[in-house]
Amino acid sequence: MRWGALILALAALAALGLTMGEVRLGLPDLWQGLWGGDGPGALTVRILRAPRMLVALGAGACLGLAGTVFQTLMRNPLASPDLMGFTAGAALAVLAALAAGLTLPPPLLSAAGGLAAAVAVAALAHRRGEGLAPLRLVLVGLGLGFTCAAASAFLLQRLPGPEATEAQRWITGSLAARGWGHVAQVWLPGLALAALLAVQVRALTLLELGDDLASGLGLRAGRARLRLAATGVGLMAAAVAVAGPVAFVALMAGPLGSALTGARGAGARLAAAALAGALITLAADLAARNALPGVTLPLGLLTGLLGAPYLLWRLSREMERGEL
Amino acid sequence: MRAALALLAAAVLLALLVGPRPVGPGTAWAALTAPDLTDPAHVVLLTQRLPRLAAGLIAGAALGLAGVILRGLTRNPLAEPGILGVNAGAALAVVAGAMATGRGDGGLVVAMAFPGALAAMVAVFLIGGGLRGGAGPMRLALAGAVLNALLMSLVTGIVLLRAESLEVLRFWNTGSLSQAAGRPLGAMAAVVAAAVLGALAVAPALDNLALGEAMARGLGTRTARAKGVALALVAALAGAAVAVAGPIAFLGLMVPELARRLAGGGMRAQMGAALCLGPAILLAADVAGRVVLPPGEVKAGVMTALIGGPVFIWLARRIRPGALA
Repeated sequence: MRWGALILALAALAALGLTMGEVRLGLPDLWQGLWGGDGPGALTVRILRAPRMLVALGAGACLGLAGTVFQTLMRNPLASPDLMGFTAGAALAVLAALAAGLTLPPPLLSAAGGLAAAVAVAALAHRRGEGLAPLRLVLVGLGLGFTCAAASAFLLQRLPGPEATEAQRWITGSLAARGWGHVAQVWLPGLALAALLAVQVRALTLLELGDDLASGLGLRAGRARLRLAATGVGLMAAAVAVAGPVAFVALMAGPLGSALTGARGAGARLAAAALAGALITLAADLAARNALPGVTLPLGLLTGLLGAPYLLWRLSREMERGEL
Repeated sequence: MRAALALLAAAVLLALLVGPRPVGPGTAWAALTAPDLTDPAHVVLLTQRLPRLAAGLIAGAALGLAGVILRGLTRNPLAEPGILGVNAGAALAVVAGAMATGRGDGGLVVAMAFPGALAAMVAVFLIGGGLRGGAGPMRLALAGAVLNALLMSLVTGIVLLRAESLEVLRFWNTGSLSQAAGRPLGAMAAVVAAAVLGALAVAPALDNLALGEAMARGLGTRTARAKGVALALVAALAGAAVAVAGPIAFLGLMVPELARRLAGGGMRAQMGAALCLGPAILLAADVAGRVVLPPGEVKAGVMTALIGGPVFIWLARRIRPGALA
């Protein structure tokens, strides 16, 4: 029942996003533009707003899935790829290639950067005898994120003017000037990785019970963990490549999705997180384009403004329970 | 202490002489003793390098000292005005004040940095539970990092709303010494000097507090008052630093660690070392940013973050999850 409401909200936001903007379109114009290919709405909808909306949907869903994978693996709501510095690492790799004049596909670059960041954080946070404490992981990841962000700011200085302006916008998280090429760039790897994740839902369910129990039930816990983490990094990278390191969507999507749908099992929570991630990103983009007349704010600014209070509330709640 | 002084002297010399347009020591001496305003080298030194040097001394000393006080108070190596969002609070208050009055960020608007810093610090300690003890040090650092992100988003939003030049945005987002000539150097130097005296006065109480609340009370320290004074000093120092150099992070993280290693455990000795090390590191970062990517310039705040990020990781690794703050 509540799943229906979530999907309905998503559809309503998508329709709203297509009609609202510098040029306001009525629903008939929208319909005509989408299916008829002519009329006042055609150009706006087909070239400008539809690809942007689809990129927002795809990137949001990917981030939601990635966040939930890590939150479930670490059994901690704070262990999301943005807090742990993976998104900053992915962004740094894309910028570094740009500054070095390499022309590789952005999704590959961001995946490489994200993977490197994940390996670095895991290696740095690991302590003999204690393993990977989730909170140290988050804290070390935060430090890596600071470092990568500083290195990105450093590299921005090296880029020539026009590229620097575009990169500056992208590095805060932005959906400006997204076309159909970007839609393919996020949806194709996103769908492939989501399918890969669907196959691993059982492993994730078992791992949630604890490594010992999972091993007892016939799972090779270490390997399954690595495969799931790699899939999560891939999903995160697909989103970062097209939308930049958007803050806090991966963090919020899982808990929001579960709260809205009441999902319990790992598979259901993943599906809910994908929908919620898309919902958050669409809503933030709608606000980014329409909050101020004549100014389009960066998407990452809006998700930051949404996510930070949520995270502060979450922190104080966890603390009351004595979990931090 | 001698090592810290030598570092500071070296950094001051570098700050005056090195840059896209190098100035010889002889020319620099001549410019300071007998300025000749028709000589471009003299003009560069007097109108660019000297204000930058002054801003670096003020902001570096303020942030280094603020870091030492915060660390002494919370016994948390990650408690630093940049990471806790105190600098961001000051920057947000200035930017908001500039928007509300419509008069830019000059004059009295800059004084908004002080209430801004204080409000952010109260908020982060309320959320992070930093002063009660019994709370993990991770919680304060996390709460601070998030508050910092939130306040910085607001700064970006407000500046975009004003639709002013990108240069303004960058100054209030990432600190730098490049705007030094237009900042209120004299007033902020006076604030920092007063705060230094206050810090030296409250240092013995902080030393006692390090022994534990009960022990400090037994030694005759009025703990609540000492903590309040120390926090007010941190707010004043962070506000002054932001007013001259924008929000510069990680200086308050690196300086206390170094000061401890150089000067030992006593608060006054650490403060003295921090007053030399803070400016030395900030000026060195500024000089490095000037020469590393010619003809462009990398902001001092970016350079301190490049070194400070790894230091943060190193300090974070040492914390035990269950450790008391």
